[in-house]
Amino acid sequence: MVIVISEDLETRLRGTVGTILREPFTKRTWSEFWFLVLGAALAFFGIAFVGLTMVVGVVFAITFFGLAVIGLSLRGARGIGRIQRGMARGLLGEQIEDPDPFSPRPGFLGWLQSALRDRTGWRSMAYVAVKVPLAIFGIFTAFSVWFDAFTCLTYPFVGGNQPSEFGLIRVLFQPGYFSIGGPGWLHGAAIFFTGIVLFLVAPWAVRAVIYVDRFLMQALLAPDAMAIRVRSLEHARAQTVDASAATLRRIERDLHDGTQAQLVALAMRLGMAKEKLADPDNLDLDQVRELVNSAHRGAKETIVELRDLARGIHPPALDIGLEGALSTLAARSTIPTDLALSFNDRPTPAIEAIAYFCVAELLANVAQHANASQASVTCAQHGRWLRLVVRDDGIGGAQLSKVGSSSSGLVGLTERVHAVDGRFDITSPPRGPTVVTVDLPLHA
Amino acid sequence: MTGPIRVAIAEDSAILRDGLVQLLVDRGFVVTDAVSEPDALRRSVERDCPDVAVVDIRMPPTFTDEGLRAAIDLRNQHSGLGILLFSQYIETRYAAELLADDAAGIGYLLKDRVADVTDFVEALVRVASGGTALDPEVVTQLLGASRRADSISVLSAREKEVLSLMAEGRSNAAIATELVISEGAVEKHVANIFMKFDLPVSQSDHRRVLAVLRFLES
Repeated sequence: MVIVISEDLETRLRGTVGTILREPFTKRTWSEFWFLVLGAALAFFGIAFVGLTMVVGVVFAITFFGLAVIGLSLRGARGIGRIQRGMARGLLGEQIEDPDPFSPRPGFLGWLQSALRDRTGWRSMAYVAVKVPLAIFGIFTAFSVWFDAFTCLTYPFVGGNQPSEFGLIRVLFQPGYFSIGGPGWLHGAAIFFTGIVLFLVAPWAVRAVIYVDRFLMQALLAPDAMAIRVRSLEHARAQTVDASAATLRRIERDLHDGTQAQLVALAMRLGMAKEKLADPDNLDLDQVRELVNSAHRGAKETIVELRDLARGIHPPALDIGLEGALSTLAARSTIPTDLALSFNDRPTPAIEAIAYFCVAELLANVAQHANASQASVTCAQHGRWLRLVVRDDGIGGAQLSKVGSSSSGLVGLTERVHAVDGRFDITSPPRGPTVVTVDLPLHA
Repeated sequence: MTGPIRVAIAEDSAILRDGLVQLLVDRGFVVTDAVSEPDALRRSVERDCPDVAVVDIRMPPTFTDEGLRAAIDLRNQHSGLGILLFSQYIETRYAAELLADDAAGIGYLLKDRVADVTDFVEALVRVASGGTALDPEVVTQLLGASRRADSISVLSAREKEVLSLMAEGRSNAAIATELVISEGAVEKHVANIFMKFDLPVSQSDHRRVLAVLRFLES
């Protein structure tokens, strides 16, 4: 056991020492060094730009000119933020999500209002302001360790009394530190050894500064929590709008292909019958009877189609509440279906409709594809959530992919559920059973 | 034209397709084929060489304007083929596209028109024999959207009626019957309209349809 631990320790120690020895020569170290230098240059340029424009802007702030300059300043800060993110991506491999692009409202006043209210611009400006002291500190640190490491390492070869000193080294160590032991080989070796230590420490010193910068960039240059929430809401809203457009299109298609075609055919038959009746000399009553019969049939079919269509838009069963509507659905299903309902609060109409359509579609899928002998529907309230579970003992293999006609209905359901911040989950291993779980908020 | 008129039908609604077949057979047409999608129509026309094709504009696979595309192709490949486009809605753009170079043997009707069997059959016969049949709705839209409102406003009420019927592709005789006036009176109104529009008088019915439509669209 002891041997094992010591071996383990040895490997870990070797790893650590190897890392320390290799680090000054890695690409990462030098990328970080360049990031520090370029980032500092950008920060100094940024503070000059922002400072100048903000001063001018604030001085003239009572005029539109001043406000426009502040707007420009914010737009510039946004641009600096973008460059900074690019550098972080390119040199550090740090992925900082891009905020939404600036999309001003039309017109000068619209632009001004959007620019002045641009949170991303203000946050980028804050980044520039905070970055400047960090950049100064970072440059100071990097140069003091790298520069002193360099001069210490070269000291024994170039000669002279003292190696040059810079920055932190001069502050932290007493003057004369480098002259311990007086002249001689020991003196040179001590300075050389200090150089090696500094050389090995340098990458980590820079990395520590970069670490703080990473944190700053994530905090100020990435979209903030509010922006993320807004984005997800916008996405949900777009989905809702798309879904309702798709619904309208489906209804139009149903009306066009079904009802309208039926009515045209009906009118045509009646037109033929009318023309035959208008010509009493060549009247073939059987023909007319057949025309009227088929017109009559067509009219009845159209009524049924219209009723189904109307039910697809808003199920009348929902008028008596979700319990009744779901009972009707379960009773109408061709597969024997158990129903268990337990909820106290009535969901809002939109949620009831989504729940109803989910159960209707899922039961229809069970009947068509699952080859099941038994299905069950449970609908239970959990706090402010409604959980629907539709289960069958069929062949399974149901998927949420977009291909195939049977699953496109599922995709449509998912979109509807997501639009109200709900969750749609399906487990359907081959040979079954299939369980679909839908969580909906009680109030949307 | 000798013998009965031979018709191919492309309509994706089965109920309407069957109804059309029944109606046309009843009226003595020969229905060479009744299909539900544009590619089948192309093959069918290739094989049977009908005199006229009745084509639904919205057909599979995308349910937008497949029928129109197929109709334009067929026109280019079979010069003698009449095309009667058939649609639930009138889109003036479709009419403009179809009538881009010629109005001979072209029809564009709302599906509702089959309810007036005789008018529908007349229109189909006209298209099959190289004439034009535009739905009154198309004409109304063209007149309404025309930038020639000034020119139209100088027409008398009777002349406007004649203009509409002429634009639908009717012959002088048909216009005369419709308006219950003599053919001579129709000729006089037509001559007046062309004079007021400052257009050369055309002889054949479909040429004058095109002349009038061009004038209204320009």
